[in-house]
Amino acid sequence: MTQVMKGVRVLEVAQFVFVPCAGAILAEWGADVIKVEHPVRGDAQRGMRTIAGVTFDPVANPMIQHPNRGKRSIGIDITQPEGQQLIYDLAKDADVFLTNYLPSARQKLKIDVEHIRAVNPKIIYARGSGYGDKGPDRDRGGFDATAFYIHSGVAHAITPEEFDVPLTMGVGGMGDSQAGMYLAGGIAGALFHRSQTGEPTEVDVSLLSTAMWMSGQVVGTYLHGGKQMRVGMPQAGGAKVNPFLGHFLTSDQRVISLFIMVPDPYIRDTFEHLGLPEAAEDPRFANALALMENSAAANALITEAFAAKPFDYWREHLKTMKGQWAAVQSMLDLGDDPQAIANDAFFEVEPIDGSTPIRVVRGPVQFDHAPAKSNRAPEPSEHTETVLLELGLDWERIESLKAAGAIA
Amino acid sequence: MKPGTRLKSATCDTEVMVIRSADGTIECGGAPMGEEKPASLAPLSADFSAGTLMGKRYVDADGKYELLCVKPGKGSLSVDGVALVVKDAKPLPASD
Repeated sequence: MTQVMKGVRVLEVAQFVFVPCAGAILAEWGADVIKVEHPVRGDAQRGMRTIAGVTFDPVANPMIQHPNRGKRSIGIDITQPEGQQLIYDLAKDADVFLTNYLPSARQKLKIDVEHIRAVNPKIIYARGSGYGDKGPDRDRGGFDATAFYIHSGVAHAITPEEFDVPLTMGVGGMGDSQAGMYLAGGIAGALFHRSQTGEPTEVDVSLLSTAMWMSGQVVGTYLHGGKQMRVGMPQAGGAKVNPFLGHFLTSDQRVISLFIMVPDPYIRDTFEHLGLPEAAEDPRFANALALMENSAAANALITEAFAAKPFDYWREHLKTMKGQWAAVQSMLDLGDDPQAIANDAFFEVEPIDGSTPIRVVRGPVQFDHAPAKSNRAPEPSEHTETVLLELGLDWERIESLKAAGAIA
Repeated sequence: MKPGTRLKSATCDTEVMVIRSADGTIECGGAPMGEEKPASLAPLSADFSAGTLMGKRYVDADGKYELLCVKPGKGSLSVDGVALVVKDAKPLPASD
């Protein structure tokens, strides 16, 4: 894949998933991303090791790979004056400073935009936050499970109204990974602008703004109409109005979903694929309006048809159907999904202990039809000396910084 | 041993960068490491065969030695017969 960010240097002072994901995307696009970690604790994300009842070894932890692929790690204690000076020295050579530290922490650590711009006036200063860098909540910390999922109304919108509390955000990191991608996109725009005009910009993306953009199609519509749609308890079968929308049980109790929003051009083809050629001739279903008026009758036929044959039959048979459909899969199914694999969805990381390779999902953007060459996440502080030697420090200086605890 | 020196194992594929060291003998797989790779490998000592991990730092209890693994292998690291241990990050426990 063309390395569109080749030659760009990013200094990342960030933890957990959201902002590190922005660095991960830039690294996948070819940037040299230097991740600053605490010399003893490392990125707090390194403490996240358990999901779905499975605890991972810290040596081969997939939860650190996704947000940190392809980076180098330097262990610096930025609370110490010597560590702080190292951040400035590194910032001098960087194109982008990337952080998710809260405003009060940035001020206390003297890594806010004015401090970093004092050593490098042309640096792009990119912030990721929970709620945005302006307003009363700018100093309020957040995770995607709060700012992105709850505060944004997303949790409320996807929860059936019969429930007292929102559905659990069942896809950990879903807000973080998106927000990271958005921030990487913003940084790409800022780099383009700087290359055109010579002027650096500040870039902000929040978990809240990410969720609002994701939902913007309906947020704007609901606010304009003054009313919001609520979802009810999910059930098998076609939708009340359009029987070509819905989740249908197969004979082996799996599910095929239809989402044929504009039925007219697909009525005959759909019924024929469902083994209901007579329905295609039925005047009750002759066009979309008729179909919607007689949706209960159509729904009964479709439900019965799906229930007569197993999931694998439908999944194969519907491949030639023109209307829009999908087979309900789990995320484990994605591991063998031929379409995902054909599009280079995964790269493999060889764990340093030689255990089973870890599959990591590639970033969603592909340049020139070729997969990115992605590398494993660094071990904490792995590249401390390498980066400092590049910066021109000698071993004597490195030893004295180490003895002072300023570096790993 | 000067910091920055690259040492190679005489028993396996392991290579390390010396970050910090004193007067003792740095070994891998039970045999002294050197700047040159010997023509034939010495046998791996069973007591020092736990392997090295790429990118990990190995230290002694007194803080006199620190080695960064730049190429992993089957031997494990020691100084004068005393095993070195991995210097690992100690993150705060977290869960979602």
